[in-house]
Amino acid sequence: MSLIPFRTLGASTAAMCLIVATAAAQGTQGQPAASPTAPQAANTSAPARTPAPHDAYVYIGWPLDGATVNGNHVKVWFGTRNFGIAPAGVSVKNTGHHHLLIDVPVPPLDQPIPNDRNHLHFGLGQTETVIELPPGKHTLQLIMGDGDHVPHDPALISRRITIYVHG
Amino acid sequence: MRNTSVFAAVLAGFLLASPVAIAQQSTMPSDAKVYIIWPSDGQVIKGAFWVRMGLSGAGIAPAGVHKANTGHHHLLVDVDLPPLDQPIPNDRNHLHFGLGQTEARLDLPPGKHTLQLLLGDENHVPHQPPLYSKRITITVVQ
Repeated sequence: MSLIPFRTLGASTAAMCLIVATAAAQGTQGQPAASPTAPQAANTSAPARTPAPHDAYVYIGWPLDGATVNGNHVKVWFGTRNFGIAPAGVSVKNTGHHHLLIDVPVPPLDQPIPNDRNHLHFGLGQTETVIELPPGKHTLQLIMGDGDHVPHDPALISRRITIYVHG
Repeated sequence: MRNTSVFAAVLAGFLLASPVAIAQQSTMPSDAKVYIIWPSDGQVIKGAFWVRMGLSGAGIAPAGVHKANTGHHHLLVDVDLPPLDQPIPNDRNHLHFGLGQTEARLDLPPGKHTLQLLLGDENHVPHQPPLYSKRITITVVQ
């Protein structure tokens, strides 16, 4: 039997390069919100950002963009490709933990991700969650943070999706 | 006297390294669940594919990282569950995702195959009680 799991992250085979192209395309869609708040790396006091491989990306596996959902129980699962999950406080190369941005743009990329009801931290290393949302239109977006909750370089940010909660 | 204490130390070391010590397996919240998000049971798949590994009610941590209520995925391909009180074997039928990965690319030969997830702790030992998914069967076509 020929089993070829892609367990080696950062591998630069031809096959991986193909995926990189796809990943880059998916990973950068719908991110204009990042631009206005993205810092220009001029702040010398900013913590050093942890590098991430260029083929790594995160995405929202569920719900789908444009979906109408029941607000009492919105299951969100976090997709991560070519990268690993580790709890907050853990510094293992090519790992991080998820943060779910609800109805907010991407925060500054050179600082720890805020921790409030619009920026949910999943510091145990969770890969899905269930949230409650009031009726109406909402946006969801994932951003990976390192052991200190600072986005990687390049930042791993999902496409920002819009969902509709019916009352 | 010295011999006795050395013997005791050696005995203690032996006990710690023995299955008796392994019986102290890591625990998990009772509502934690591991499951295969994709593919679904009975699915027919053309060529290579990504397996998506799901975990609810707990967290992922890389191998070697000690953190309560976490573990890392192991994907069992075409094999039964291994002994649940020992480290999970590491071979072509027992794939380890010790970096904390939640997706894996598989390229299986055409035919029927089974897939099952088994969570392991920092030392690759299943939790107590063990967290494993339903075993699904897929068919790969060319």
